[in-house]
Amino acid sequence: MTTTLAAVLIVHVLSGVIAIGIHNVVLMHLLKKAPNYVFVSRIAWSAVALFLLSWATSAYYYVTYYGTAVKPRILAGALPAGHAFFMETKEHIFLVLPFLAVSIALSVSYLRASPDDALRKSTAFLTLIALCVGAATAAAGVIVSGSI
Amino acid sequence: MAVYDLLVIVHIIGTVLGVGAATFAEIHYTRFNSDDIITDDERKTLAVTYTVMRTGLFLLVISGFGFLLYLRLTEYTDLLTSATFLAKMTVVGVLVGNALLLQARIIPLAIGAAVSLTSWYAALILGSLRDTNASYIEILVYYIIAVVVVGVGLRWVRARLHAPKTI
Repeated sequence: MTTTLAAVLIVHVLSGVIAIGIHNVVLMHLLKKAPNYVFVSRIAWSAVALFLLSWATSAYYYVTYYGTAVKPRILAGALPAGHAFFMETKEHIFLVLPFLAVSIALSVSYLRASPDDALRKSTAFLTLIALCVGAATAAAGVIVSGSI
Repeated sequence: MAVYDLLVIVHIIGTVLGVGAATFAEIHYTRFNSDDIITDDERKTLAVTYTVMRTGLFLLVISGFGFLLYLRLTEYTDLLTSATFLAKMTVVGVLVGNALLLQARIIPLAIGAAVSLTSWYAALILGSLRDTNASYIEILVYYIIAVVVVGVGLRWVRARLHAPKTI
């Protein structure tokens, strides 16, 4: 693996993990009755930027390296399910995450201007879904790496 | 300093902060709540302790994924599918879920405290052991038993330290 690809992989993992962590913080704040929407909307948009960064770097890594150098090794190894199930699931579920993140950020930005308890609860539920999807994606990434 | 050494140091600092804060959160809460009243100063002390705990969790997760990257880039990936590693990942996931459930007031504080304290010590022990002969399921069964034992123990300690009611 070249230094550029290693850097791309590092950016993909760290930006994704930090974005998931930010959604955790967003959810913790949205569970309060009167959250600080200025703070929450700022970090929610940061999560969007980080997910897009993670998305772009993962696409570059997948197209230029994973498909030709890693995937055949996993399929020929002891844990072919690492690609056949976990990566196949991960690469499709992960497509949803940036859109979930944008929806959360837009909702929180709206809440910043016009607080609404019902929308706060709905946004908290959406953030919980994004958090679960994010955690499942991260766990799938660990299993894919462990299958090499 | 090698990247691996830096990751080890950050991981240890995260664990120390988390385990220490979880322990003192229990000690403080038990002492402060012995008269059924938590004053503003006591509430602030607890808030600082929880902030330290969250900082520990953040460092633990970030350095944990740093290890993942290091192992991936050095092609030493066997550890990533070991029972101990997967159990530790599960325990850290439980810690995060437990914090959310407590924040949403979905689970009682007594259960959340037992899960939090046990999970932090379980993460410490699993990290120290690195690998065992026990399977993933066996480790989780021991973990669940430990949560129950710690829960009963905390309940007993709180009952003993609780100030006698005035008649």
